[in-house]
Amino acid sequence: MTGTMAIVGFGLSTIGPGVATGLVFAAYINGVARQPEARGLLQPIAFLGFALAEALALIGLVLAFVLK
Amino acid sequence: MVKQDDNAFWTILAYLISGLAFWGGVGALADHFFKLHILVFVGLVVGLTAGLSLIWLRFIRE
Amino acid sequence: MAGDGFVPPSSADFFFHPIFGTNILGTKPVLLVGLSVVLISVFFIASSRKAAIVPSRLQFAGEGVYSFVRHSLGEEVIGPEFLKFIPFLFTLFTFVLCNNIFGVIPLLQFPTMSHIGFPIALAIFTYFVYHTVGIRRHGLVKYIKDICFMPGVPKYIYVILTPVEFATYFIIRPATLSLRLFANMFAGHLLLLVFTMGGKYLLTSTILMKILSIFSFGFAVGLSFFELGIECLQAYIFTLLTALYIAGALADEH
Repeated sequence: MTGTMAIVGFGLSTIGPGVATGLVFAAYINGVARQPEARGLLQPIAFLGFALAEALALIGLVLAFVLK
Repeated sequence: MVKQDDNAFWTILAYLISGLAFWGGVGALADHFFKLHILVFVGLVVGLTAGLSLIWLRFIRE
Repeated sequence: MAGDGFVPPSSADFFFHPIFGTNILGTKPVLLVGLSVVLISVFFIASSRKAAIVPSRLQFAGEGVYSFVRHSLGEEVIGPEFLKFIPFLFTLFTFVLCNNIFGVIPLLQFPTMSHIGFPIALAIFTYFVYHTVGIRRHGLVKYIKDICFMPGVPKYIYVILTPVEFATYFIIRPATLSLRLFANMFAGHLLLLVFTMGGKYLLTSTILMKILSIFSFGFAVGLSFFELGIECLQAYIFTLLTALYIAGALADEH
């Protein structure tokens, strides 16, 4: 087998953000389903959580390329 | 309503990617130019900050 | 020893020798694109030729696709001016859908969009359409200014933010639009190849392995239905994002 361990590292590092994104949107959908008028309040918070979690995933992607 | 969410979702991803790609690329070029190995990380941090602050300004501030 | 001699599928499996001629125009993906154009034209001409007030089954199917694009992708996303863009969105949706579904049709079994060139061509169309719409609506200078300068920020911050905004709108958006479609189709086709080729290899082995190959083929069939879902979803997402970009270019401020 050939390849770099960086790819394995990237694969491992996507697990955390994947779970995190799922949790953020699960909570968002739950909240909106229980109280539809709270959407305007919940939306920015959900997007902030999504952005932060996704930033971690992209850091993993970038470091897989940068660190040799 | 759902479609606005969808738009925001992909725009957030695009902002993060382009922030990292642009400033990280600038950092990597500067590294290559000055024969260093640290500016790429500075560039990545700047790009991440830029992407996150654009998301903040665009979707969260109001 | 099982595992010896098994060649896992790779990206080399996506390149074909020309079926006729020596030209690149004779390869399977190009022929499939031609076939899709013929199929779409025949289907929609046949379904609309004898249009009646009480629709036949064919007419009902054709109108179902049209009204789906018109209402859920056009009217709800773009707003009051949606009618101009329906032909573009409808062509895009049916073309991508037909070419994706080729991936699970027996004998054809190749999603054309798993060659990066085809999604890039479609994304270039989208790119020109939404920028042209925006420039026509706002004028060149105001359009670029709206994109690049987020209001309500101190002046010196623009040095950091403006390149990122510019890159998002002019490079990353079309790139991700085509890459998303390409990557989904490529990965899906590769997944099906892994299970069918694995099953085929198991058939050459011992009796026990021959029995086990049933599971491999069964998995391939099950995943084909899963792929069908992904393919429809990707066609929808591609068209939805095109409509969203057009709507964003038409909107007054970003």
